[in-house]
Amino acid sequence: MELQEWNPLGYKNLYRDLFKKHLARQDSLLKQGRPVGWFFSFHPSEIIYIFDVVPAYPEQYSAYCAARGSSVDLIDASISKGYGHFLCDYFKTTVGMIEEPEKATKPLMPKPDFIVDTRALCVAHHEMTEVFARKYGIPKYTINYPFWTSDALGYVDELTKIPEMVEELYIEYSISKLKGLLEFMEKVTKIPLSDEKFKSVFETSEKTSKLLIEVAKLMMSKPTPGSQREIADLVFLAFFVLGSNYALEFAEKGYEMIKGRVKRKEGVVPEEKFRLLTFGIMPWHSLSLYEYCEMLGATFPVNLYVNASLHLCDSKKPFESMVRRSMHFTNSTYDLMDGVIENARKADLDGALLLENTGCRITSMIIRPLADTLQEELGLPSLILEAPQCDPRIMPLERAKTQVEAFIESLK
Amino acid sequence: MLAKKVDRMEKIEKVEKIDALYNFFLTRSLLRKYKENGKKIIASLCNNVPEEIIHSMGAVPVRLLGLAKSTELASAKIPTWLCLYSKRLMEDGLRREFDFLDGIVGMTSDDTKTHLFSAYSFYLKPGFSYLIQIPYVRDKSSIEFFEKELKRFVEKFESFFNTEFSEEKLGESIEIYNRFRDLLNDLSRLRWEDEPKVSGEEWLKILLASTSMLKEELIEHLEDILEKVNDSEGYKDYKLRIHLSGTDFYDVEIVKMIEDLGGIVVSDDLCTSSGYYIGNVGGRTLRDLARRYLTQSACVLTARLEHLSIEDRLNFIMERIGESRANAIVLLKDRGCEICGHQCPFILQEFTDIPTLVLDLDTPYPTEQLKTRVEAFVESYG
Repeated sequence: MELQEWNPLGYKNLYRDLFKKHLARQDSLLKQGRPVGWFFSFHPSEIIYIFDVVPAYPEQYSAYCAARGSSVDLIDASISKGYGHFLCDYFKTTVGMIEEPEKATKPLMPKPDFIVDTRALCVAHHEMTEVFARKYGIPKYTINYPFWTSDALGYVDELTKIPEMVEELYIEYSISKLKGLLEFMEKVTKIPLSDEKFKSVFETSEKTSKLLIEVAKLMMSKPTPGSQREIADLVFLAFFVLGSNYALEFAEKGYEMIKGRVKRKEGVVPEEKFRLLTFGIMPWHSLSLYEYCEMLGATFPVNLYVNASLHLCDSKKPFESMVRRSMHFTNSTYDLMDGVIENARKADLDGALLLENTGCRITSMIIRPLADTLQEELGLPSLILEAPQCDPRIMPLERAKTQVEAFIESLK
Repeated sequence: MLAKKVDRMEKIEKVEKIDALYNFFLTRSLLRKYKENGKKIIASLCNNVPEEIIHSMGAVPVRLLGLAKSTELASAKIPTWLCLYSKRLMEDGLRREFDFLDGIVGMTSDDTKTHLFSAYSFYLKPGFSYLIQIPYVRDKSSIEFFEKELKRFVEKFESFFNTEFSEEKLGESIEIYNRFRDLLNDLSRLRWEDEPKVSGEEWLKILLASTSMLKEELIEHLEDILEKVNDSEGYKDYKLRIHLSGTDFYDVEIVKMIEDLGGIVVSDDLCTSSGYYIGNVGGRTLRDLARRYLTQSACVLTARLEHLSIEDRLNFIMERIGESRANAIVLLKDRGCEICGHQCPFILQEFTDIPTLVLDLDTPYPTEQLKTRVEAFVESYG
């Protein structure tokens, strides 16, 4: 199949700048002796900036190991210590780093002084924080948001996570636990909550979240203006550094770049042949799969994984906003896919590339109902690839490319 | 001589009685009979679903377990690497083996169970469905929330089935369930004797039967069995007293194999056994029920404030081993079970002074290999 010239948005430099600033902040706080906390996706990242703590993210670190090629050894190390084969790759990679640090990509994650367990996506986060907290003998705070069901939540806008209606009982309980988290943070960081800082961090978060949503919307333009190689990494901003000034800086520049592209009607490739939806945690070891698809003319205007990571923060209602962060379709029963379908309809799609992340029960169990719904509601065919996010052995890139080629061929 | 003969007769009667009960689980015949008699049959997808509520509203709660040996239909809908429990349940559902159900009640106890609820509801449209949100922390506000959550469940149930909840009826159901638990506690103590009067195989059969019938009906059988067991002679010809550790395990064949090879299972921490019945409800209200289900059971993922659930589970296992005087552990590690996957290493680290055998389980069971491993284990430590 003929490959086209690939023309990404150019977010690479923005990411480089973002990471540089993030790491510089970490270094500076570590030197000041500030406590280290481990956090997971969908946690209220604003607290990191309100309490000036050093954050470390097992998911992000594992993705980094996967991209750098050390995750396989770390996964094997965890299995040899008796942990299960079919667990989250992020967990196995992190346990491998703890057990056999000499095999892990440097710099290692700093040892935690505390851990925040937020079940806003999976119980696996709860299960793995237990393991980490016990291994390090550190305090842990747990919030479990509801797993949303259609009798508790009405229609939810896929990008903003603003629901039509919501069960008060669940909101109240979640907020009470979030208030408890603030008390926990005061205790472990030994600094009182500053109302002023709280307000300003949430204002930054609001501005950033608005821009990220705009970027996701602009990605649905015709032709698709950017590559998933760069858009997929937006989850780092949305999950982990929302509330920081450097995330806002990135979002402002990133928004302008994609807006310019759309205005010029410039696509990621000269000739867009098929528009695909994608979902699943990215295979961080083989992100070039996306680039390859795009060069074949199959672009990705919608990435449901990225969309799930977004929410519109309302700084006037910070607690409700933190709860709304959990109202994504991967934390909801499968009859709550209306928002996803509506967005997909707007994007005028031809098919879907879905990734079953072995060991991740969330993405993997939702894949088939999603494929069935896309077929029934929009007539879209799907290709499901088994693709653990940190273990390239199960999805060799060349094999995946062949499967994708055959799928694209069938779309013709 | 005569005494021995009487004892043998008692034993045969006991075995026959237990097998007859177990047959209710295998055939689901009683559930169909209840259905014919106009009862609503409501499946629970977790041992921590408070069955007393369903029972008090006139329906029959069933702890749903699949029996399929192969799972080809389920494999088209859910990942093949999930735990046996979820694959079998989905398989039986897709094969329309659960056509007698009027609804399902799930719980957010782990990812598999939460998404199994979603997948089951999505593909099989079971009529009534409710997912109970369980807090992972056993603090005051979480118990209060859980009570309100149970109230919410009651209201949805009332409205769907056009029935009425009453605290008085709930109290009566709690009494029945507590009686069921008391009888199992009595029976369990007989497993701890030097010559255990109930084998692991018999025990599991009774527990499985209890998932598929009304507890008041089971109580009569249990009283009878208890009488027979009390009068019978125990098992002497064993080499190792075993504690069985695992989650939603219910393969009687595996337990039988362990016991045929010289082990005797005297205690466990399985979701389908200890986790299902241990812990009486200390009152007659929804609040009492909330407290029991959040604080007293062997639920493997909830913990006291500032504690870890794994510590509570390890204590639970330690207590069981202390009571039963088990001198070995067989750890049933379902390859697809997320809880086994995270917690097994801690169990192994904690009980280094007790011989432990880990059996990695996936279907089809490699029976001969499992036999060899169990045989070698029993020979080594028996």
